Amino acid sequence: MSFWINPLKVAADWLEGLLTGWGLDPTLAHVLVAFLGVMLLIVILMVIDIFLVWIERKTVARFQDRLGPNRLGPFGLIQPFADIIKLIIKEDTTPGGADKVVYNLAPILSMMSVLVVWAVVPLAPVMLGVDLNVGVLFLIAAGAIGTLSIIMAGWSSNNKFALIGGFRQVAVMVAFEIPMLTMLMIPTILAGSMNMNDIIQAQGGRWFFLLSPLGALIFLIAAIAELGRAPFDLAEGESELVAGFNIEYSGMKFGMFYAGELLHAMTFGGIWAILFFGGYRFFGLELVSPFLAIPIFLAKALIGYWIIMWVKYTMMRIRIDQMLIFNWVFLTPLSFVLLMVTALLNVLLRDASTWVYAVSMFASNLLVGWIALEVARSMSKKERTKGEGNSLSLRRGVG
Amino acid sequence: MTTPVLTPIADLTARFPGSVTKDERAGYSGFLVAKENLLEVAAAIRDEFGYDLLTAVTGVDYLAENKMEVVYHAYKTTGGPGLVFKVQVDRIDPVTVPSLVNIWPGVDFQEREAWDLLGIKFDGHPDLRRILMWEGYQGHPLRKDWKEPFFEEEVKPFKSRWPDGKHVFAEEKNPFRDNLNFPKNFDPDAYQPEAEKDLYSSLERFTLKSESGLKTDQIVVNMGPHHPSTHGVLRVAVTLEGETIMGLKPVMGYLHRNHDKIGERCTFLQILPYTDRLDYFNSMSNNFGYVITVEKLMKIPVAERAEYIRVIMAELSRIQNHLIFIGMLLNDLGTMYTPSLYAFEERELILDIFEAVSGARMMCNYFRFGGVVRDIPEDVMQKIKGLVQDRLPAKTDEMDRFLSENEVLVGRLKGVHVINAEDAAKFSVTGPVLRAAGVPYDLRRADPYGIYDRFDFDVAVRTHGDMMDNFLIRFDEIRQSLRILEQALKQIPQGPINSQKPQYQVRVPAGEAYGRIESPKGELAYYVVSNGKPNPYRYHVRPPSFVNLTAIEHICRGTKIQDFVALLAMLDIVMGELDR
Repeated sequence: MSFWINPLKVAADWLEGLLTGWGLDPTLAHVLVAFLGVMLLIVILMVIDIFLVWIERKTVARFQDRLGPNRLGPFGLIQPFADIIKLIIKEDTTPGGADKVVYNLAPILSMMSVLVVWAVVPLAPVMLGVDLNVGVLFLIAAGAIGTLSIIMAGWSSNNKFALIGGFRQVAVMVAFEIPMLTMLMIPTILAGSMNMNDIIQAQGGRWFFLLSPLGALIFLIAAIAELGRAPFDLAEGESELVAGFNIEYSGMKFGMFYAGELLHAMTFGGIWAILFFGGYRFFGLELVSPFLAIPIFLAKALIGYWIIMWVKYTMMRIRIDQMLIFNWVFLTPLSFVLLMVTALLNVLLRDASTWVYAVSMFASNLLVGWIALEVARSMSKKERTKGEGNSLSLRRGVG
Repeated sequence: MTTPVLTPIADLTARFPGSVTKDERAGYSGFLVAKENLLEVAAAIRDEFGYDLLTAVTGVDYLAENKMEVVYHAYKTTGGPGLVFKVQVDRIDPVTVPSLVNIWPGVDFQEREAWDLLGIKFDGHPDLRRILMWEGYQGHPLRKDWKEPFFEEEVKPFKSRWPDGKHVFAEEKNPFRDNLNFPKNFDPDAYQPEAEKDLYSSLERFTLKSESGLKTDQIVVNMGPHHPSTHGVLRVAVTLEGETIMGLKPVMGYLHRNHDKIGERCTFLQILPYTDRLDYFNSMSNNFGYVITVEKLMKIPVAERAEYIRVIMAELSRIQNHLIFIGMLLNDLGTMYTPSLYAFEERELILDIFEAVSGARMMCNYFRFGGVVRDIPEDVMQKIKGLVQDRLPAKTDEMDRFLSENEVLVGRLKGVHVINAEDAAKFSVTGPVLRAAGVPYDLRRADPYGIYDRFDFDVAVRTHGDMMDNFLIRFDEIRQSLRILEQALKQIPQGPINSQKPQYQVRVPAGEAYGRIESPKGELAYYVVSNGKPNPYRYHVRPPSFVNLTAIEHICRGTKIQDFVALLAMLDIVMGELDR
């Protein structure tokens, strides 16, 4: 029965026993098994990634009143494989004047940064790569590598459009890292730990979404910006920068960026689920078996991914100055205020009953959000009426 | 039909005795202005007579008389008939005429076009470069003594195409004929395109200087010819400082096929399918403008039922154009095709109707002199009624509801200035862009053609001239078009669809005509000169996209690169008609 409770450990123990039985050094056997485990995770993720392409194309088709891929296999399920074959057999070009090392490293880093995140993601209570006690910090550090890959691609391509895309990504990264980090503090405060598994365990009974709905929302916005998806897809800027940072990439190198972006989106859906929606928890089902916990977690991650997809395919891109103002003048102060309110209430209501605690947390979030929206509304109204009188100044300056 | 363009204005000869005379040639109208007095007369026409909108400038090469003529068409934005004035100069190179760019800046591109195609040099033009042909091109193709490679005859149909009843392509027979001209020392095999020194030096001259006081670098980026925001193969050389556009120069001509020259080679009827290809979204409107011009020359009436059919087709065309505009604008703003596919769905239904009446979805070739080519079948009539009365109003409201309140859209569009009324008139901008700036100038009202004076509709107008108004005015226009369509569908009589007999060759008396219609993108005008032969002597198109683009430099300098993309979409250009 223990296989159903902790399949990975059972399998690893068996394999290690087998290897040492063959006369392999126990340390070496341990490393080998750990390596196999990593490979297994990566393979599973890549297979999911392949089907993410299909999910995205199919969902978008429904949004746009189309059918989407429907020729290859049932419901077009084989389509992504055909896409991959096409990408692999395409010519792999490197532009003249490109910084070759950086240029070729960028897509690899893009993919790697996403895979590395999964090291600390708990798939089930007993299934996680590393039980890091600063897991939340690790997330941010790994996410920054992804941003770095975009900057590298933009800079090394020897293309002006790519360069502008790279510049924009720097602006986005510097801006949205702050609200995102701040929002990561909220689950940390509520759970009293930076460990991912502890954060999930602390959400027994009430998801952090119920304690901090505004926090969850701000985190989602910052995550979309980090991902570079619409309305913050400035680095890609399809209509003005053609393809932005990845304009010069062809074949599978482009495919790595593309797959990295999709997996990144789903990963953020998963992190969102872990931080605010209880990760693999679902009314105790996760305790029955990891084979139930993993699908629950993946389903939550896909729901987050799906929400990110809605936004992407219905929103227009905002202008760069609007994006910066939105972040520095609205989102960052709001997240600071929210963090302070949450921390304060958490201390004040430590000994209060669960109900009082939860309700006042929820109410405080709504209040902060409402006040912020009202302030923003009146400010933008003032700005707009000013703009109508003198639209020229608005056009030249920031709006 | 009203022909207000031909209404003479007596004042001009009295105001400038000696330097201005009436054009007395048979079939011609307007005034002949002496070259020396052109600037003075033009300033008076604008300031004293109030003709603030110079819509068209073009040239005619009268080889037999050894004269080169420049024709100007001036109008008032308050409406009413126009004023035609011409300058005749001797046909001795260099042919020079003073440039009017300081009086009406909108003549900029049109004067460059006249220089490019006819070799008329405009003195005082600040940036007189070739515009449609490539740099280093030899000769001026619209001159009557210019012969193209593979030249066979002056006019179609070429006899070589069916010797003994079989057709042979002249190109296959003899690929390099004697008249293939190259510049001196030019070897076509060794040709390497030169760096475009003219373009970049001109771009540099018109670039703003940085005012921030910081040390900044400017980079030149070529947006296009292959770029998603340019709706085809327009190229814009842009100087960027960070994200801000400090200077820009549009470069066009990648789709240039010399529509005017093709027209002069063809017979009057043969031109009609070529007009479809101008603005390929609105072939119905293009046909409309051309047949109106030729009908003016022929002085023939139009069958009553055909008049209504023309209005129905033109307004349906306007609706689908504006739907495309909205979809494509949102694409340029960064929505991943979702709104544009919703817009395309409605457009397909309208194209179905075009297909049912004309046999083609986009290249309709449906109008004929004196009427249209086929009647609308009864079941198609029912389809149009269903579309106009139920589906399109509902879908327009739905799109309006989905989009106009969207906070991101409002943030992107509201308060971003496009052009104000004064500048719009100065730059000869017409169509929805002019009306969004607050000038209620719609040719269907200001200078009615066809039977538009019978319908009850409002001229859509907005006041701010920002991008939001430019966006919303398209919805207003769709609603007004639906109003016109409803009335037209109610009033349409039974009867013949053409006042003439079907014929391959029409007889067009000698003379000139300038016919203009309110195409969805602005004023679409044709200037046709006939000398009584089966082919037009001069055939000129004044496409709205081309003239509206004149203002792009004025509009876009100082904006962010993202706004530039949206502003370009606002002008609603289409390359088929811009490059001709």
